[in-house]
Amino acid sequence: MPTLTPDVVPGLIATGASARLDEDVAPTFKIGDRVEMKNINPVTHTRLPRYVRGKTGVVERDHGVFAFPDTGAHGLGHKAQHVYSVKFSFRELWGDDHAENMYLYIDMFDDYMKAV
Amino acid sequence: MPHDHPHPHNRPLSDVELRVKALESILTEKELIDPEAIDLIVETYETKIGPRNGARVVARAWSDPAYKERLLSDATAAISELGFSGVQGEDMVVVENTDEVHNIVVCTLCSCYPWPTLGLPPVWYKAAPYRAKVVKDPRGVLEEFGVTLPEDTEIRVWDSNAELRYLVLPKRPDGTDGMTEEQLAELVTRDAMIGTDVLTAQ
Repeated sequence: MPTLTPDVVPGLIATGASARLDEDVAPTFKIGDRVEMKNINPVTHTRLPRYVRGKTGVVERDHGVFAFPDTGAHGLGHKAQHVYSVKFSFRELWGDDHAENMYLYIDMFDDYMKAV
Repeated sequence: MPHDHPHPHNRPLSDVELRVKALESILTEKELIDPEAIDLIVETYETKIGPRNGARVVARAWSDPAYKERLLSDATAAISELGFSGVQGEDMVVVENTDEVHNIVVCTLCSCYPWPTLGLPPVWYKAAPYRAKVVKDPRGVLEEFGVTLPEDTEIRVWDSNAELRYLVLPKRPDGTDGMTEEQLAELVTRDAMIGTDVLTAQ
């Protein structure tokens, strides 16, 4: 009997599988904190894009606790941690010739960030 | 029926098509999937789940201020009130376009997209040129879509690289005061809910 059969498809599509974890993990950062993205260059799976590495932003929102893809993708466990919406100015990311009123928001895991 | 459509018959399958067929064969042989389940998934996203769902969410938010408040504070729950939930919509965030702010969504790492409300992503959304340019030159991307925003409009680009999925609540067009929710839903385009379009009452 295959794992994926037509009878389970509607339920799967309607429910999905959230990466959110019901685990009590303390956040390392709080809203308003200035944070620098670590300049790391893993050759394995990561959700830390190169263009924000080494850049400084501000924590705008705490999304709660999620599984960490960098370990999960390699069978190394969930490593539950907070994910935050972090706001960067275009000037920080791309230079002073960019307009002041342009911002990039990206969801960053605790392990990607350090306090400034 | 005349047979004048342009695709060549008996052409060799592309690498991607071959790879998909090989994967499906192996998964079927290993008894991990029933191929009919795959057909059902494809059929569901071709016929049942698409941007009309998102348009209903937007029209409800325009019509019902209390719903809009719930949508902006807990999008996953508010969207699920209308019956839309599931794969790639498990953890939703809705961002609102206003006179002062315009939001645009991208996934720079791959093609993350809110399936329950928008269906499967268009090819351009998954393509490297959009993903690379919109985080650096969103006004340039908007120009390519025929959209020019005033210089003093704040631009917010949302890179959905992690587990949250984003839907833009477009600005309600002027001149739509008397419209019903159904009529409003007809005005809402997929691209407006990604942020590469602005809506008019036409």
